[in-house]
Amino acid sequence: MTGVTLSRWTMSYFAAALVALMAAEAMMAVGYGFPAAAIAAPETLILVHVVAIGWLSLLMCGALLQFLPVLVAQPLYSNALALPALVSLVVGLAALILAFLQLDGRIAPAVPFFAIAAALLIAGFAFVLWNLARTMAAAPTMPLPARFVVVGLAGVTFTVVLGATFALVLGGTVDYGPLVALTTAGLPIHVVAGLGGWLTFTAMGVSYRLLAMFMLAPELEGATTKAALLLGAAALGMAIAGGILAVLLGGNPSLALLAALAMGVLALALYGADVLHLYRARRRRNIELNSRMAAYALVSLAASVVLTLLLLAIRRLGDHAAAVVFLIAFGWLSGLGLAQLYKIVAFLTWLECYGPVLGKGPTPRVQDLVVENRAGKWFLLYFIAVWAGAAALLAGLPLAFRFAAALLLVATVGIVAQLVRTRRLADVKDAARLPQGARPPRLLLSCQP
Amino acid sequence: MASSFVELDVRPILRAGGEPFEAIMGAVSKLGPGQGLRLLATFKPVPLFSVLGARGFAHEAQELAGGDWEVLFRPEEGASQPPSAAAETGSADASDWPAPVQHMDNRDLDPPEPMVRILAATEALKEGDVLSALLCREPIFLLPELAKRGHAWRGAFEGDGKTYRILVRIGAAGKAAA
Repeated sequence: MTGVTLSRWTMSYFAAALVALMAAEAMMAVGYGFPAAAIAAPETLILVHVVAIGWLSLLMCGALLQFLPVLVAQPLYSNALALPALVSLVVGLAALILAFLQLDGRIAPAVPFFAIAAALLIAGFAFVLWNLARTMAAAPTMPLPARFVVVGLAGVTFTVVLGATFALVLGGTVDYGPLVALTTAGLPIHVVAGLGGWLTFTAMGVSYRLLAMFMLAPELEGATTKAALLLGAAALGMAIAGGILAVLLGGNPSLALLAALAMGVLALALYGADVLHLYRARRRRNIELNSRMAAYALVSLAASVVLTLLLLAIRRLGDHAAAVVFLIAFGWLSGLGLAQLYKIVAFLTWLECYGPVLGKGPTPRVQDLVVENRAGKWFLLYFIAVWAGAAALLAGLPLAFRFAAALLLVATVGIVAQLVRTRRLADVKDAARLPQGARPPRLLLSCQP
Repeated sequence: MASSFVELDVRPILRAGGEPFEAIMGAVSKLGPGQGLRLLATFKPVPLFSVLGARGFAHEAQELAGGDWEVLFRPEEGASQPPSAAAETGSADASDWPAPVQHMDNRDLDPPEPMVRILAATEALKEGDVLSALLCREPIFLLPELAKRGHAWRGAFEGDGKTYRILVRIGAAGKAAA
């Protein structure tokens, strides 16, 4: 074990991700995509993929390149592989957007953008998966949080394979009957594999470790955590394998998805109990902004589970699926992501800039790089806007939703400005900013001598 | 391919509150070619897996009745040569190190304060001095910084599986590599 160093391209992943988040919020604010357009319209598909690939997947990939090595105590297999992965993902997303515009008839179908998007996105995710898989294969141990990540990586694999299948069928490259059937009926499986398998499962795994680490709480390795892992993995297996099988046999995947939901809710309940335990058993009384804001994200996750069950009970889930997806994507995943980014960017910047000179003279603390009171207001606005937006979708008020999306954008710009200030050491007092031997970090790139 | 295993039962040492690391490394250094180690402990000795893995041993752990653990460390083929000291400053046997001149308990500090204090302490010590620190997790971001500054270290979780003890020997990495 030689320890873990800074992942060189993680800040570039974060920056690209944040640009995509702000772009998506701007689209919602100006009324692009659902609810102004139909839920399956090309505009909505563009919006959804800017959020899912551009923001959430790039955020998660960048975070995993840095923190999977921490989870398994093993250096990252390759820093160099992270850059071609990022380029493939970003260009692949651009191609996918162009392909959806072709579907809409807005640009000529001369270039096969669907096939290009499928190839680039498969390549980009494959580079990331290979890098992370080689890192884990070399690790001496696989603690429970890393096992959640393994399930998450299986989730992204299925999501990408299904997505690529849809792209090839919609682009006219493939017309094989069963794959056409999968494209017609497989959308819910793609969504569950992506939001549930890849993003939620990975976020759960990483949050177990980050919450324990930042709140000085004991690591959880007990029966509830193991059961959450097994039940969650079983739920995803049921949704993905069962769902695909049902479609290929000519049925519809609803039964498999319902069975998966039952197991998934149990898994999330166990996760919720674990997280409550982490907050209660913490030795650090005054927790930092990232852990306080993570609580709002966790509340949003709980709210989306309750909302799903309520809508199912009154048989209205089909009508309001968008509100549930919005709450999961922006309340839970984005909320948790932004909250932890606030701490991660500060910590990585501090380590990069001051690590080499620690102990040799006075250096700022990590908390000197941030001003929590100022950032806290933007976070509060962010969560209020998310909840207002979900309520507007439920109530069927498109104009109110656009207003909430505009607030969301303002809050996000506020948070991003804090992250840039942190990266630039703008909140560190002048006299302390650059002790002898310390070099200012670059905005998008981490270098360690 | 191990033809035989030498058995080492460290449960009595652990139950008496002792630190079995040196006994284990001593037993490993006495193993003949192709010989493996059968270790009996009161917990799953996860940190040893990487320490002995770096020395070319594969491990197989199984829980015994009563919560004890049996671990078979088997020499891997083609890995019989000792690891290079330069690459494995972290795994080096510390049995010949002098007693620590400074002890720190950093278990209740907010991260990354434990790392800050250890690095500050290393700057104040003389070459060859040993520092001992207790932590509540493996200090993965500290280790590359110690290596960069030329210090040797060795660390492992204590018997309770919750306290990590690291020993840092000032300026010893360069010497070991030479």
